[in-house]
Amino acid sequence: MNRILAWCVLLSVVLIGCAGPSSEERGVYGLTLAPSGIDPHVNASSELGIPLTSVYDTLVYLDPETGEFVPGLAERWDISSDGLVHTFYLRRGVTFHDGTPFNAEAVRFNLARITSPDLASQKARFMLGPYERVHVVDEYTVQIYLSEPFAPFLDTLSQVYLGMASPAAVEQWGDEYQLHQVGSGPFVFAEYVPGDHILLRRNPDYAWGPTVYRHETAQLEEIEFRFFTDPATRSPALETGEVDVMGEIPPQDAARLKSNPDFRIEPVPIPGASLMIFMNTERPPLDDVRVRQALLYATDRQAIVSTVFRESSPVAHGPLAAVTLGYEPAVEEFYPFDVERAMALLAEVGWSDTDGDGVRDREGQPLALDLYLMGWGHMPEVGQWLISQWAELGIAVNSQVVSYPEALEVAAQGKHHLIPFNLSGSDPDILRQFFHSQAEFNWSKIADLEMDTWLETAARTLERADRVELYSRVQLRVMDGALVIPIRDYVNLNGVSNRVQGLGFDAQGWFPWLIDVTLSE
Amino acid sequence: MAQAAFVLWLAVTLAFVAMELAPGDPAQALLAASGATAEEIAVRRVQLGLDDPLLVQYVRYVGDLARGDLGVSWLHGRAVSRVIGESLFPTAVLAVAATAVGVGWGLTLGLLAALRRSTWLDTLVTAIAVLSFSTPTYWSGILAILLFSLRLGWLPSSGEGSWRHLVLPALVLGFALSGSIARLVQTRVSEVMNEPFVVAARARGLPARQVILFHILRAALGPALTVVALQFGFLLGGAVITESVFARRGLGKLVVEAITWRDLPVVRGIVVFSALVYVLVHWVSDVVQAWLDPRLREELV
Repeated sequence: MNRILAWCVLLSVVLIGCAGPSSEERGVYGLTLAPSGIDPHVNASSELGIPLTSVYDTLVYLDPETGEFVPGLAERWDISSDGLVHTFYLRRGVTFHDGTPFNAEAVRFNLARITSPDLASQKARFMLGPYERVHVVDEYTVQIYLSEPFAPFLDTLSQVYLGMASPAAVEQWGDEYQLHQVGSGPFVFAEYVPGDHILLRRNPDYAWGPTVYRHETAQLEEIEFRFFTDPATRSPALETGEVDVMGEIPPQDAARLKSNPDFRIEPVPIPGASLMIFMNTERPPLDDVRVRQALLYATDRQAIVSTVFRESSPVAHGPLAAVTLGYEPAVEEFYPFDVERAMALLAEVGWSDTDGDGVRDREGQPLALDLYLMGWGHMPEVGQWLISQWAELGIAVNSQVVSYPEALEVAAQGKHHLIPFNLSGSDPDILRQFFHSQAEFNWSKIADLEMDTWLETAARTLERADRVELYSRVQLRVMDGALVIPIRDYVNLNGVSNRVQGLGFDAQGWFPWLIDVTLSE
Repeated sequence: MAQAAFVLWLAVTLAFVAMELAPGDPAQALLAASGATAEEIAVRRVQLGLDDPLLVQYVRYVGDLARGDLGVSWLHGRAVSRVIGESLFPTAVLAVAATAVGVGWGLTLGLLAALRRSTWLDTLVTAIAVLSFSTPTYWSGILAILLFSLRLGWLPSSGEGSWRHLVLPALVLGFALSGSIARLVQTRVSEVMNEPFVVAARARGLPARQVILFHILRAALGPALTVVALQFGFLLGGAVITESVFARRGLGKLVVEAITWRDLPVVRGIVVFSALVYVLVHWVSDVVQAWLDPRLREELV
């Protein structure tokens, strides 16, 4: 009898195995680049978080609706009054996909891994800011010590880069761990062929999801991720039914897809630093605030956004995207498109076209600016628009497209007049990366000690209202000083087949909560 | 052997110099956007050995290689041999398929044009040949996707996994290759047709098909083979645009990424690999040529 039963079980397993998931249970998700590495503790790509947010759980989650942190692997936590010690009380009964139990020791192991110099982390380590050490209090209590208070710390812990990995799996696989990742999330990391695809399979035992997830366990059996580096191929892949969801559809294709009843565009605004052109305040003639203001007045941002981004992105008015915590709406009052004013300012500084060649000059020097562009994010198109808009005012622009490492070098050496950048992130501390005098991206070459203090204080201030007040000052100071020309807020245009329901995104805007996704026929 | 080693050394040294001259700092490129401070970036630079004098870096770079250690990718954080190994197979598959398409199509066109010299067919073939090597693959690739995937729904537009995924990229890339092959075959066949041994074969009363296959084509193929071998070696280095359009992985994408990020260990690995492939492909093509054309055998021996 037992043997017959065993055979029946075996047979049904084989049959189920052969049948595989039906098309209602299997989704295909198009990613826009094949990341060079997808270990969230090691690599920095934002693309890796799209699949792996569903493989790993984090200690806390950021609820995008309320902006509040909610429990994840930590049931609750408290922060010492000096802001230096975070104590996390961990959820019991959580197991990693390989059966390893999750506990305080696992948290210690993960933090030790991320901060180990041998791992050469490209992102996670630096997100931890003034992290000092971790202390296991008991099996389900862990304390993290910081050397100074760090307001973005919970935001850091809520991201996939700080996802909790199975210590046993990390030990077992070593350098090749990224091909065999093991978390505790709603999906199991089943297969990864670098550059080709990633396959996730439903974790049937998942029972510890945060309140931001609507379902207890994943609704799909399998999700396959494929890479579509060339933007022109993304919309065709969606339209041929090869994928069900595709990120970063080019704006012109999005406009076309919208009119197709089988698909929809789900635009997700991304918080962080807007796409902005940094003006080098150290290099003449941009060392004169009036010239920088003139450039701001001379820029018809609405025209750029309408044509390059097909109305799919909001015009940016300041250094922070409008959906970011602490955004100061008063920046919208600055610098409307006003050619008259721009010309008046330039004339005031002494720039006029004396030799009639169409380019303004002063003391025999033409008004010519060096613009460096990177090849991605529609920067070349935006550059073209700036050049043509400014040409009408007699401003000449020499533009060139450079690689990212070269852009970093050019900007560090201050060879530029103008150079654009944007960066996503849910915490306004991102401003410190751009406007602190010591910042790596201080491409405006600003050294405003008061602004430095505001940024440093805000990073150490845990009271949200006080932080927001400091960031408001920073944003106003940036626009007062005409340090940047904001262009647009980033919006990720997701192309979605109409058979997909329940696609939601985390507070970063990049990472889908796949547990809630369902498919119909 | 010594010659191969010299070629290899030259290739890696040139790559080192080129990467050194290229602007940008790898440690900064890797970490700047992650919020790392200037000090943290400096620490990483030391860790990667980028602070050592250039000569020390060069000796380590060549020395590791001499010991057969390709090192660890700065960007991927994994062994270079594995990173390259993963990209190699899809690249090789595409290279073989595209070369087969290119040779088949190029040979047919070239032969047709040569045998029907100064007819409309000749003009048409020349036009197709020019079109094929002047059409960029990113354009023909997108066009093929629009037609065969989107419009007709016959073939998948992207990815890998089955022979069906290979058809479009192989056709697009093969078409691009076929032009130069067709032109070469056309010229060579026209030349060979008047050579004494062909005339003699004809005089002996051999059937036309046999003359074409065993005499003309055999003699004309040698030089075409050199071109094919060169192109094949080139394809093994990765067809970056085709890979990108059809969302395939491969060495082309890998090398572009490595150069962009100044990932020196990966660049070195790919250069070594490509140099080895070139040496090998040339040797094989020499041998095959000698077998095809008896006149060359003595030179080789």
